[in-house]
Amino acid sequence: MRLVIDEVRCKGCNLCTLVCPYRIFKPGTIANRKGILVPVTDRPERCTNCRLQKIYGRTLCGMCQMICPDQAINWVNEEVYEPHRVVVED
Amino acid sequence: MSGDDWLRKDRLPHIWCAGCGNGTVVNCTLAAVDEIGWQRANTVFVSGIGCSSRAPGYVLTDSLHTTHGRAIAFATGVKLADPSLNVVVITGDGDLAAIGGNHFIHACRRNIDLTVICMNNQIYGMTGGQGSPTTPMGKLSTTTPFGSVEPAFDLTELAKAAGANYVARWTGFHVKELTKAIFSGLSTKGLAFIEVLVQCPTNYGRRNKYRSVTDQIDYMKTHSVLKQKADRLREEGNELPEDTIILGEIVKRSLPAMGVRK
Repeated sequence: MRLVIDEVRCKGCNLCTLVCPYRIFKPGTIANRKGILVPVTDRPERCTNCRLQKIYGRTLCGMCQMICPDQAINWVNEEVYEPHRVVVED
Repeated sequence: MSGDDWLRKDRLPHIWCAGCGNGTVVNCTLAAVDEIGWQRANTVFVSGIGCSSRAPGYVLTDSLHTTHGRAIAFATGVKLADPSLNVVVITGDGDLAAIGGNHFIHACRRNIDLTVICMNNQIYGMTGGQGSPTTPMGKLSTTTPFGSVEPAFDLTELAKAAGANYVARWTGFHVKELTKAIFSGLSTKGLAFIEVLVQCPTNYGRRNKYRSVTDQIDYMKTHSVLKQKADRLREEGNELPEDTIILGEIVKRSLPAMGVRK
């Protein structure tokens, strides 16, 4: 699983930086197209949910997702990398 | 979030300000509703007027956006017309304590089977930051520019005295506890009242020396005391500071309830 912040929904309130026990979220510095400083994630693979959500079959910590007033934080499935054979057309 | 499929995703992002705690309360409410396993067909969300009352507009179920202060009156009608419906009232402090105060105490007295979630931001946020009945003493707003001179309303004590079956108070910081409190409120027969203190960075925090959203959350975190601890401290003869926020389950009892199918 991978932790993602939805840039369309995020309004840059930085509440996630306050609650994460691993301090994964850092206040953003570069404004996006709407002028919002979206927080950046610092090594998000440390997040317990990213590592263990599939094994336990439930959301483990999820504080950032619960406190996010804009419903912007989510975990998405990450596909295992598979090398593709390049097909050369005749 | 476990209540993710209860959101109207096409309506997001919502109109609340950056850092407004109302979105957090919606998250917790939907998580609790999802946990209790209610169906969309027999769940109704009712709200009045105000910032908080925009919330049912983002919930994918039947919802009523009613007149100012009359959310509980409409919800009573819904519940008594069809007692098989699960009715949740989402309301604000101006809606519930100011204009709808009488509806609130009489709903508590009748003990109708509703769940009332009050997002108390201690100010009238939508109309520009006027002082509300829950603005704490000495705090600034546009109508109290030298500090509020009136004592604030304690909504949980009011609900307890009027006879509600379940009363709890949490803040926008305590999300897990709030979800549990809403869950027990939803499963209680009779009126369940959950007061949530939320931050209002635009109209309350800006005028009261909370420079950022996290400042007000920090204040709630550091100035709150669990009810059990507050009782113990009082028994030992210690005085609590005046700005202490007492959190937790204030009362849980099983008085006869109205609107419950036998």
